[in-house]
Amino acid sequence: MIVTTNLSKKYNENLVLSIEHLEIPKGQSFGLVGNNGAGKTTYFSLLLDLIQPTTGFINNNGVSVNASEDWKPFTSAFIDESFLIGYLTAEEYFYFIGELRGQSKADVDALVAQFEDFFHGEILGQKKYLRDLSKGNQKKAGIVAALIGNPEVVILDEPFANLDPTTQIRLKEIIKDLAEAKGVTVLISSHDLLHVTDVCERIVVLEKGEVVKDLATSAATLKELETHFSN
Amino acid sequence: MIRLFFNLEWKQFSRASYFQKGIAIKILLFLAAIYFGGAAIMLGVGLFFIAKKIKPDLDPIILVNNFLIYWFLFDIVIRFFLQQLPVMNIKPLMTIPIKRNTVIHYLLGKTALSFFNCIALFIFLPFSIVLLVQGYAVVNVFCWFLSIIILTFCVNFINFLINKNNTFFYSIAGVLFVFLGLETYGFFKISEPIGKAFNMLYQQPYLVIIPLLFLFLLYKKNYSDIRKGFYLDGAISKKADRVKSLDLNWVNRFGSVAVFLKNDIRLILRNARPKQVLLMSGLFLFYGLFFYTQSAYKNMPAFLAFASMFVTGGFLMTFGQLVPSWDSEYYKLLMSQNIPYSKYLESKWYLMVVAVFVSFILSIPYLYFGWDIFGMIAAGALFNIGLNSFITLFGGALNRVPIELNVKAKAFSNTNGFNPTQMLIALPKLVLPMLLFYVPYKIINFQAGLIVLALSGVLGIVFRNFFLSKIEGVYQKGKYKTIAAFAEKK
Repeated sequence: MIVTTNLSKKYNENLVLSIEHLEIPKGQSFGLVGNNGAGKTTYFSLLLDLIQPTTGFINNNGVSVNASEDWKPFTSAFIDESFLIGYLTAEEYFYFIGELRGQSKADVDALVAQFEDFFHGEILGQKKYLRDLSKGNQKKAGIVAALIGNPEVVILDEPFANLDPTTQIRLKEIIKDLAEAKGVTVLISSHDLLHVTDVCERIVVLEKGEVVKDLATSAATLKELETHFSN
Repeated sequence: MIRLFFNLEWKQFSRASYFQKGIAIKILLFLAAIYFGGAAIMLGVGLFFIAKKIKPDLDPIILVNNFLIYWFLFDIVIRFFLQQLPVMNIKPLMTIPIKRNTVIHYLLGKTALSFFNCIALFIFLPFSIVLLVQGYAVVNVFCWFLSIIILTFCVNFINFLINKNNTFFYSIAGVLFVFLGLETYGFFKISEPIGKAFNMLYQQPYLVIIPLLFLFLLYKKNYSDIRKGFYLDGAISKKADRVKSLDLNWVNRFGSVAVFLKNDIRLILRNARPKQVLLMSGLFLFYGLFFYTQSAYKNMPAFLAFASMFVTGGFLMTFGQLVPSWDSEYYKLLMSQNIPYSKYLESKWYLMVVAVFVSFILSIPYLYFGWDIFGMIAAGALFNIGLNSFITLFGGALNRVPIELNVKAKAFSNTNGFNPTQMLIALPKLVLPMLLFYVPYKIINFQAGLIVLALSGVLGIVFRNFFLSKIEGVYQKGKYKTIAAFAEKK
């Protein structure tokens, strides 16, 4: 369960995020949508304690993220390419993350093997460093790395961007499976309304840093979102 | 069109990262520019009189001509390291309706304004003026000067042709050294035939046509090379490196720091910038040669202590001062993983200790200078391991300059880690070993100096965990600042 209380972030008097109260129960697949500058990445960065909140706090499974580091073992994320180590091969990168998260090589191999379909033969055994992979393939490696070590909370910023259609469909299955079968709390953001409504049980719309809509996904949600954003 | 290009150039220049630095660094850069510019002009003015003094019976211009070959060879070597053709910049220009020819001419033309070409101008223009004042024939001096400048441009374009290929470079550097060696020992003086050629250039002004022709051909060659590669997958594409798989299982015996250690080893072996640092730190090994061979320093043991510290401390200082910066490209990842800072720091410390140890082994030939010198190197190595490593890591923690790992540092953009705090931190690194040695040396004797210097290092090792936890505190305090600084685009 992730509880956000009175959270705000200001850059020089410029309020970029202000969330009074937001509860994300365990095992929910949670989608965040909003135009550029709405505060999606800011919220995720606050969740990962990469920036300091101006007021308020986020509580992740009973741990206040800006006060303690105990949320790290059960939380993982892929926000952007700065989560990749460019001079490693995909395998080396997975093992590195695995070691940090207390997983043996065999554990990592077993997990990664499940994603062979998702990788589409373009990640493993490539004899290429991550920095030389295409944007889409970098993203695939980053997303799978975020699933190493049985995290309870997974945060993915714009996971569908740059992926080819086949991979997008596979990623949707992966995310659904995480939330439904494994009870993992999945937080994603996206500009693609169709994808989020497909994947997320709940969708929150941010506008200029504030929550303007909080919807339980239903058949009508896509239409509602489209109307909202076309105005 | 030209006006637009100039506008772009001006913006690139005035908005470059080294101008966005603090005022103190701007002033320093400005002073450095004045210093080097001034030094070059002084040299240009003085060259005539210096030449006259060295060889009174020889015409100064002949002496200068004799040594021009070395000037040009040296110029190529320096340029190889520091000057690169900025082809990457043409990518945004490829799809705009400008003729390719125009873009390429612009690209090649703008290299003419390079700093390296200015040096020649700064030296040879004053020299030529002095020649005129001394009553040398105007036409001859003018054409000679023109030839020199044209040849400088030739070097400029030769560099771009050979820049992609290391073999060319090593052959030129090799030729330079062989000629230098043969010259000093008087076997064969290359300066004589080449000097004659330059004298011809001076005596027969119309011969300026030869360098001009040469320049024209080189320009053509460069032009056609770029023209052929004017595609995304041509000259401007980045080459993907071939993966060298590394078996680093032996590192696992280092226990909990092994994860980071393995990563650091890959970092150093697979990225251009750390490789450069590795090369630089190798050169530090020879630092002692400057000091131990000069009789002037024989009676200044404090300076010798300082030099001895440098012999084994090259890698430690050049790598260590940029310690969190090396990981700047993926710092967010590290900060969101469950990483104990102490382990992270400890791994860097191990790396530095191993480097000092290896340098120490390599410095055994210094035994040639006697046990006193070697004792100093040993004491300096202990100081490096025990104290210098922590001072350097501490300085690094205050340094928040992002590094592009796989991009070579260039001349004048290499101001990374160049800030006032860094300089303050560098001070104890340099002064401490001198003091630690000098005080007991003055009061008691040479051996006492050595022992105190060595003991200071041992003390540092004993209190290792204390120092590491102090540095960890700095990291923790600066966490958000560091993340924000590393996320900034260069």
